[in-house]
Amino acid sequence: MSPAPASLTTYDPLTALAAGLASLALLAWLFWPRRGLLAVWKRFRRASARVLKEDALKHLCKVEISGGSVSLTSLAGALQSSQNTAAAVIAELQDAGLIEAREGALRLTAEGRRYGLGIIRAHRIWERHLAEQTGVAEADWHELAEREEHRLSADQTEALAASLGHPTHDPHGDPIPTPDGEFVPHGGQPLGTFPVGQRVRVVHIEDEPESLYEQIVAEGIYPGQVIELTGMTNHSVGFLADGRPRQLTPVVAANISADLLARDAAIGAPPGPALPTLPPGEEGVVQLISPLCRGAERRRLLDLGVLPGTRIRAEMRSPGGDPTAYRVRDSLIALRRDQARHVHLRPAGTTA
Amino acid sequence: MNRSTTTDVDRLLQRARDLRWQVGGSLHDHMAEAIYAEAARVADRAVTRPGQQPRFDWDRTLDRIVTSRLWGFPLMLLLFASVFWITIVGANFPSRWLASLLVDTLHPALKQLAAGLGSPGWLSGLLLDGAYLATAWVVSVMLPPMAIFFPLFTMLEDFGYLPRVAFNLDRLFQRAGAHGKQSLSMMMGFGCNAAGVVATRIIDSPRERLIAMITNNFALCNGRWPTQILIASIFIGATAPPVLAGLVSAAAVVGVALFGVVLSLVTSWGLSRTVLRGAVSTFSLELPPYRPPRLLQTLYTSLIDRTLYVLWRAIVFAAPAGVVIWLVANVSFGGSSLAEHIIRWLDPVGFLIGLNGVILLAYIIAIPANEIVIPTVLMLTVLTARLTGVGEGTGVMFELEDANHTRTLLLAGGWTVLTGVNLMLFSLLHNPCSTTIYTIYRESGSVKWTVVAALLPLAMGLVATFFVAQVWRLVAGFG
Repeated sequence: MSPAPASLTTYDPLTALAAGLASLALLAWLFWPRRGLLAVWKRFRRASARVLKEDALKHLCKVEISGGSVSLTSLAGALQSSQNTAAAVIAELQDAGLIEAREGALRLTAEGRRYGLGIIRAHRIWERHLAEQTGVAEADWHELAEREEHRLSADQTEALAASLGHPTHDPHGDPIPTPDGEFVPHGGQPLGTFPVGQRVRVVHIEDEPESLYEQIVAEGIYPGQVIELTGMTNHSVGFLADGRPRQLTPVVAANISADLLARDAAIGAPPGPALPTLPPGEEGVVQLISPLCRGAERRRLLDLGVLPGTRIRAEMRSPGGDPTAYRVRDSLIALRRDQARHVHLRPAGTTA
Repeated sequence: MNRSTTTDVDRLLQRARDLRWQVGGSLHDHMAEAIYAEAARVADRAVTRPGQQPRFDWDRTLDRIVTSRLWGFPLMLLLFASVFWITIVGANFPSRWLASLLVDTLHPALKQLAAGLGSPGWLSGLLLDGAYLATAWVVSVMLPPMAIFFPLFTMLEDFGYLPRVAFNLDRLFQRAGAHGKQSLSMMMGFGCNAAGVVATRIIDSPRERLIAMITNNFALCNGRWPTQILIASIFIGATAPPVLAGLVSAAAVVGVALFGVVLSLVTSWGLSRTVLRGAVSTFSLELPPYRPPRLLQTLYTSLIDRTLYVLWRAIVFAAPAGVVIWLVANVSFGGSSLAEHIIRWLDPVGFLIGLNGVILLAYIIAIPANEIVIPTVLMLTVLTARLTGVGEGTGVMFELEDANHTRTLLLAGGWTVLTGVNLMLFSLLHNPCSTTIYTIYRESGSVKWTVVAALLPLAMGLVATFFVAQVWRLVAGFG
């Protein structure tokens, strides 16, 4: 072995190895995604005074819309802070003339309401942006929007709204207040309040708390979906969605709001089987592309000519089992299973 | 404007605002879908198709075979192995011919001419030993394999086979968060990383394209194969019995290349789950009909678009590097050259990662092209070990005909088996050459991702060689 250079007189491989491992551990501790010191520090810095103030206004707005009243405890809960902090925030907001105590309850002033609705607008537009213009997973939308709502300036929010085509609803079905603070509530009722056998349309999914929301996302429920209630017990709410039976606990189901199919009952037909169930060599007719397929992903399917009424034929599967090649309008296109599952085919035997 | 119209307009606007809430969020989707559906309807009415072709469908039959579970992978391996074999064997002769013309014949002739014209030594050193020689070296090592590999590859592409490869391999890349077409840009990377990075244009999903660009460097490019083969035969092959030496060193080189493929998948996986989480991703892969390859057009496009394009960029970067290489060896102060000062300073770092200062300096100044790393290493070794009787003079890169002589020279420079192993690792895992870095910048348009693509493999290389060196010394005994 060649000797170590003179400047490394104390070299010993075991020490070097230990030092190397220790530095790797240190780097991981600092920079590990989401749990590293840097990520924790960034999260901590976000909880600044302005963020607390804005979150408090947002909470007051939401409570006002739902017709409840705000207590120190509910505010502390919403801010995830102590009651002392919540009291300090209230005092600060009162000094700024954004809220006032009237008839023993805390109320928003006109100025405070405008401010709070602006934050809600930024939040919901950002969620819409994440849904349409990025590939961020559905379960992460809310948390990211919680962060971004405090950073977006009014001009940035409006530019984003324009690039999205001035959306009216966020991806959960919540109305986005206009810049003037106007909006129409979704007007749905919790799923549990409808009788068994009723066909209803999902109008809103509550995205907090995260653990419940994740269960709803996992079942593939989305605003606009038509579902049929099949059974209700103390322990579960059962329903048919996209032709498949599903079950949720009453606590989770309470976070889904729906309304009756009064306005246009024509959309009542449940979607047929998904494209991946088509065996190679068989042909089908596209019925619809699920609303869960959004933004660039949806446009790509449309670009390829996958439209309601298009004949589509499964040609062959990759030796790996995925993707599958489909013949659409005389061209051969490979789609992965998690894309193809959004395409529904007309049930066999129907012609319409 | 009179009063009543104003209120009418207001009422109309108010009504429009109310209706906006009623039509809901999916209006845009419905509109887009209706436009597409209408376009499809018009096309169906206007376009007539000839009646049912009596077809024994060649395309379909061929597709069944090349994507079948039984034949898909063996056919693929066979085709690519042949492409590589033809490239390596075919490039041998023209490479040697170019080297003997440009390096062995033209270089001394030019030197003589310069001396005859009475130009000062430093000028001919700078321009001929530096700029000219580096360029000549890059051209003679780089041009022949690329001129063979790229047309062959383009032919497979033109025929329509390559999309089927992406189709077959997509599952593997999907698990790594990447696109099946990355297999093609990676394959291209075995020819040249800069060309591989350009080839990522076939990936239309932004996130997957970025992943393919950043990980392309893990495909062992044609400028690094000679280094791998030389070092493997000198240090790894020599540890085996003479009968097996060739086989063992070949296995070592293939092993390094496969390790690169594994690393590119692992890195893709890591990138798609951390920094590139949430970037837009849309998969689609069109499998076009098979077409007879157009030979002339293939030759033209692969030579102009790929070979000459890459070669030109390499030359642009190689000439100044040659000047720098000559300068560090010839500018001296305090009794030793600049190169020796830097090498002494780099030696401790080099030692810690099982290499040495000479290799590190060679990688720094030979950043424009991996092809000139070994010639630079040899020149610097002669310089620092103050050997006499070998080489072409201070600051003049050279290579030795006989691997045994190279071995003797490197051993005199203090090399061990560990140095060889780690050089092979480091040759796979270091920053891409400047041509590739520049290409990544041009293609991605982002300084940030260019920096990531340049530094990520370097960091991985430093970590890997460091740990190999420490464990090796612990196991083999140090001192």
